[in-house]
Amino acid sequence: MSRPALTVTDLAVHYPVRGGPPVRAVDGLSFTIAPGETLGLVGESGCGKSTVSKAIVGLQRPTRGSVVVDGVEIVGADRATLRAARAKMQMVFQDPATSLDPRMTIGDTVGEPLLARGIARGRALAERVAALLAEVGLRPEHASRYPHQFSGGQRQRIVIARALALRPSLLVCDEPVSALDVSVRAQILNLLVELQTTLGMANLFVSHDLAVVRHVCDRVAVMYLGRLAELAPRDALFAAPRHPYTRALLLSVPEPDPAAQRAKPRVPLAGEIPSPAKPPSGCRFHTRCPMARAHCREAEPQWRRVGESLVACHYAEETTPV
Amino acid sequence: MASDPVTTKPVLEIRDLALAIGGARVVDGVSCAVAPGEVLALVGESGCGKSLTALAAMRLLPRAATLAGGEVLLDGENLVALPEQRMRALRGRRITMIFQEPLAALDPLSSVGTQVAEATGLSGAAARGAVLAMLAEVGISDPARRIRQYPFELSGGMAQRVMIATALISRPAVLIADEPTTALDVTIQAQILDLLRRLAADRGTAIMLITHDMGVVADIADRVTVMYAGRIAETGPTVELFAEPRHPYTALLLAALPRLSDAPKAPLAVIRGQVPLPQAFSAACRFADRCPLADERCRAEQPPLREVGKGRLSACWHAERVR
Repeated sequence: MSRPALTVTDLAVHYPVRGGPPVRAVDGLSFTIAPGETLGLVGESGCGKSTVSKAIVGLQRPTRGSVVVDGVEIVGADRATLRAARAKMQMVFQDPATSLDPRMTIGDTVGEPLLARGIARGRALAERVAALLAEVGLRPEHASRYPHQFSGGQRQRIVIARALALRPSLLVCDEPVSALDVSVRAQILNLLVELQTTLGMANLFVSHDLAVVRHVCDRVAVMYLGRLAELAPRDALFAAPRHPYTRALLLSVPEPDPAAQRAKPRVPLAGEIPSPAKPPSGCRFHTRCPMARAHCREAEPQWRRVGESLVACHYAEETTPV
Repeated sequence: MASDPVTTKPVLEIRDLALAIGGARVVDGVSCAVAPGEVLALVGESGCGKSLTALAAMRLLPRAATLAGGEVLLDGENLVALPEQRMRALRGRRITMIFQEPLAALDPLSSVGTQVAEATGLSGAAARGAVLAMLAEVGISDPARRIRQYPFELSGGMAQRVMIATALISRPAVLIADEPTTALDVTIQAQILDLLRRLAADRGTAIMLITHDMGVVADIADRVTVMYAGRIAETGPTVELFAEPRHPYTALLLAALPRLSDAPKAPLAVIRGQVPLPQAFSAACRFADRCPLADERCRAEQPPLREVGKGRLSACWHAERVR
């Protein structure tokens, strides 16, 4: 097997709180992504998924752990190493409007990484920019326009073109289609799937939307309160989830099919996410888990293999398929 | 113009509503009705006019928007023609509204108990009793402790429950819910949708649900009105509309959704082009430029909303050909 595009080992991000215990937003995460593979990272708000993506691209300093992108350690790296590594990882955020400089033309925005690193200039740069715009379904003449002249979907295409400029080995997408309307979202999802096959990049796809994650990802990791609950190949996770939280999440997705939707349990999961400043003892999910028993309150479950899944649940064998 | 084929006598009926912003008809010819105990979903993408329609029903239009025609009938009374004083007596009592961001809608300086009690018109022990009962009904545990809390102490799901309690404590006939679960996580969304469904069934509240999410529609709506570019594309009972859309826009919208049951990574249906800007609205069907079925007639003449089946209305010349 080739070297992973991304290896995350025991990643933790704790935010200090004055006069209290730190908020353990991310608390010991490990996973890898192979070249060409798309890993989905899902979970509800506050589970730490966005903190993970920020730590990976170096926008958030981890409390401990290791992040290796294309063979290079990012955590604690010096400026020069970090600058070199940043060319290999690019990020696409939720809101394309705030990711673009309103005073820069699209051509300057997309070409900036190439210019800044002295890779191309002048006529060669213009040609590269035109090729990048074509790659994301825009036209060369768009290069001279400004962000406000584009729709939300087109702006997200521009952000993607800029992210592709340096041919990164890892693309981190944090809720890339969440701000887009359904019809536009379909176009961007089609583009991302197309780019997976043409470019062979590794992709970390962070999202709260399980239908979207299932559509674009090869494997899926489920987070709950700063920890991984389950990690499995897509089809296994959606057909036979091993963690009761994964199962509840799947059942909570409202499907655009009235008959199927109305046949599901009405409230798959009671209660609310506890504060990451005071995570529950033992298994963090035990306060909401329909399967929880005394042992779950006391002992933290080990990360172990059950079927095709890696899962952190004492009773994963008992979880019923969806 | 065909009126909305609501099954029983509607409590809220919007008739041929037209709203203008800067001379452009951003809402045009919108008619819909909702009966007691019914959930009607008004669905569409951003800018389709669904929220403006709801705000018009509440007489809470933003300053830039003006009423250009139509009626809003609540128990047969035309809200559009009422003096503001009479409207104030109805708003928050007979017809109420909840919004996407409960924390933005609640008063940060006022305790949960005070806010919910304010909507009752009661005071003292009577108010307290009513508030505690209402909070329990919307699924808030330990209401006696919660009434002393302030909005910042509430999670998003809890704040939405408080807002629903505030909206329903006066036993309104109509609740307008504008994207009430859009800001919530899926597990909490399922809880709130279940609550809304039970309130409609148990109290007979008529709910007009504004949403962009076809999954939410499939979950709780009895009937659906699909809007596109300020007009109604089609209306029908939820199950039938999903099974057999009668407007090309609805059909494409449903095909553009990734589903838990489809083939991963298979190309999703795409609606080419963009929603026309209001300034560009013409005599043509507003969907014509993006429609796979469009012909000369569609580009010349706006299709009226017409009956295309039992309880079904469609504004498409080719409704019978939609697949």
